[in-house]
Amino acid sequence: MMNTLETRVPVTVLTGFLGAGKTTLLNRVLTENHGKKIAVIENEFGEIGIDNDLVIGAEEEIFEMNNGCICCTVRGDLIRILGHLMKRRDKFDYIMVETTGMADPGPVAQTFYVDDDMQEKLKLDGIVTVVDAKHIWEHIDDSDEAKEQVAFADVILLNKIDLVASEDLDRLEARIKSMNSMAKIFRTRDAVVEMDSILNVGGFNLDRALEIDPKFMEPEYPFEWSGIYELNTGTYEWVMGEGPDPVMGAALLPLANNGLAAKEATLMGAVLTFSEDEQAVQAGETLRLGKGQHNQLVLNGKGETVFNFVIQQPGHYMLFTEHHPDEFDAHLCGTDAVQTPLETREYKPDHEHDEEVTSVGITLPGDFHLERLNRWLGQLLVKQGQDIFRMKGVLSLRGQDERFVFQGVHMLFDGRPDRPWGNEQRHNKMVFIGRNLDRSALEEGFRACLVS
Amino acid sequence: MSRVMMRRKGKRKPPKPSLKAVWRTHIDDHPIGLAWSPDGKKLAVAGVSGPITLFNGADGAVQHKLPGHTFGTMAISWHKSSRLLASVGQDGKVRLWDTRTGSQTSEMAGGASWVERVAFSPAGDWLVSAAGRKLRLWDTTGALSCEYPDANSTITDIKWRHDGKRFAVTAYNGVVLYGPTRAEPLRRFEWQGSSLTLEWSPDGKHIATGDQDSTVHFWLVESGQDLQMWGYETKVLELAWSFNSRYLATGGGTQAVIWDCSGKGPENTKPVMLEGHRDLIKHLKFQRRGMLLASGGKDGLLAIWKVEKKKTVMLADSVFKNPIAGLAWSPDDRRIAVSDESGTLSIAAVQRT
Repeated sequence: MMNTLETRVPVTVLTGFLGAGKTTLLNRVLTENHGKKIAVIENEFGEIGIDNDLVIGAEEEIFEMNNGCICCTVRGDLIRILGHLMKRRDKFDYIMVETTGMADPGPVAQTFYVDDDMQEKLKLDGIVTVVDAKHIWEHIDDSDEAKEQVAFADVILLNKIDLVASEDLDRLEARIKSMNSMAKIFRTRDAVVEMDSILNVGGFNLDRALEIDPKFMEPEYPFEWSGIYELNTGTYEWVMGEGPDPVMGAALLPLANNGLAAKEATLMGAVLTFSEDEQAVQAGETLRLGKGQHNQLVLNGKGETVFNFVIQQPGHYMLFTEHHPDEFDAHLCGTDAVQTPLETREYKPDHEHDEEVTSVGITLPGDFHLERLNRWLGQLLVKQGQDIFRMKGVLSLRGQDERFVFQGVHMLFDGRPDRPWGNEQRHNKMVFIGRNLDRSALEEGFRACLVS
Repeated sequence: MSRVMMRRKGKRKPPKPSLKAVWRTHIDDHPIGLAWSPDGKKLAVAGVSGPITLFNGADGAVQHKLPGHTFGTMAISWHKSSRLLASVGQDGKVRLWDTRTGSQTSEMAGGASWVERVAFSPAGDWLVSAAGRKLRLWDTTGALSCEYPDANSTITDIKWRHDGKRFAVTAYNGVVLYGPTRAEPLRRFEWQGSSLTLEWSPDGKHIATGDQDSTVHFWLVESGQDLQMWGYETKVLELAWSFNSRYLATGGGTQAVIWDCSGKGPENTKPVMLEGHRDLIKHLKFQRRGMLLASGGKDGLLAIWKVEKKKTVMLADSVFKNPIAGLAWSPDDRRIAVSDESGTLSIAAVQRT
């Protein structure tokens, strides 16, 4: 259903484990003098005692919309309660829905896509997850609900920061970012946060999500660093100190010239090289040069380890290393001096082994072929809908002057034309958050839908 | 399985002889319940915010304004005597009102914070209410007569069979039959889905349900066999049986879909589609003893159709400024009460043709 004029009432869904601070936050929202009229749908275990706004108790009731389709579970109680609320003369500026601590946010989010009446009158503005910064560690590893609450969020409040050391907080924030790089994170004490940060966040606004962490859209690489060296014929020494790992992957590739295209080509070559089986290189041995030669440098237990580079053709070379050389105090020595790279680059590390729940951002140039895209998305959602918690994107469709924006929850997909591209460079940006996502398969699938 | 072929936005036919207005008034609320007293002398209108207004059916004079329920009234039901009116709402209560004096005679706890459904039995001896999973049976003094075991999920509708010996309840997972004499369910018609509303055929042989997943379910009560009608545009909340149990009119889209349930039933038959509305149909009501069907839409159109085997035609129409919020035929079938979402209430006489 398309609305040119937005008259739908925004809904904020509040999730978080019991004791994380949801009630504190709700109380704050209700008592703060913001001049907004807010209705609260409180979960059955809620305990708000305020009567200046409308607070309705709800017994979470989840049902499947379609026979056997788990991805189409919705909250039946919300359809009834909100349906009734929308008939009232006293209109609300916002509706907040509090879920129980152990709730999977899927059904509540899906409710706003699946039911026609809901879709017409309400819009899911955002999912706000309150995290108990001290106690989340007890759940984050083995609770699916905790992971899902983080993964679904548009906004995450790391609450109770007064009870946690700042290093632990940094560690927690990094962990959460690796799971959901799209969410805006606030550190709070007693859930004190600007209302504007949690209400009307416009979860649909992908541009804003990207502002948060532009690095997020970059692809992930199997290496963290590269350096370009200009080398003459001869033998060089790659000297490494002790580091965090006893081995390190490395590849040395010739670079045709210093132009951008050549660098990109070499970079792709390095990605392929790192996908080959690694070959061990012991101390004093020579690195194998060229595409397909994935070296694994084996360090001595103690002190420095030296590996050799033998250069037969003078020119530019690009060295790729699995870790940043600084972590090993590594450097390249020529016959008389340390060689300084002409240029270096750092890459976003690949997190695939760290988290089951991750975010994948994909950027592609070009225009999509609508039918191909539909077909592919259809297949993707049937196969992986259960594991894709959320997705958002801005797409460039062939023959369309407007940006096409979409978002989805599990298998449900809601897309519509947005503002015209105008002078903006046309592009495609998508974000997926889910369990066991395969970045390269996703990217390849979407690439195949581009107009060739 | 039978499939509806939907066509959107049909052409409006030229209007037939229009309905003759009897009286017209306004309530300052979104009307959610509209019910004639069985003697046709009173019309009760419940507003979403709570109050229930009792109008004189003949001229629209306000007889009483009942306070209803704090936070909102959900449903109303008349007792056979036309004196008692039951109401339920978001204050968790079932209330009984003496409509002659306008005073409350009983107040009962529905069992949960939202009491959504209420229905007096046709003979007037029982009142059944549903609040969440709680199903309770009361007598006319408000005394609890039976507390049924909790339903598996929130009860979405309750309807008495016309003989008053059974009532059917829908919830997620199908339909369950109960009787007023024992607490145990008498029969289950199971189905993995969410039914939102149900209607018995007047002869008690069929139960139709309208479902969240844009289907209509149709149960043959005796055999327990079920049919599913699909292809609807949206969830189906509108169901109406003709008095002779032959036709089942269903909404769930811009066209009313009429199934002929005579003979072998609607399976593999092509239903009649009524074109005329420009937006979703919100209400469908058959006359009690006639073949006129009233449809009310989100487009504000009230249409009266004459349903016949050979050809169903629109006899009359009337356009309201806002979506139709309720329809009710008077007990003598001569008049129809219509409300729209802005609170306009109009009573019109239907000309015989």
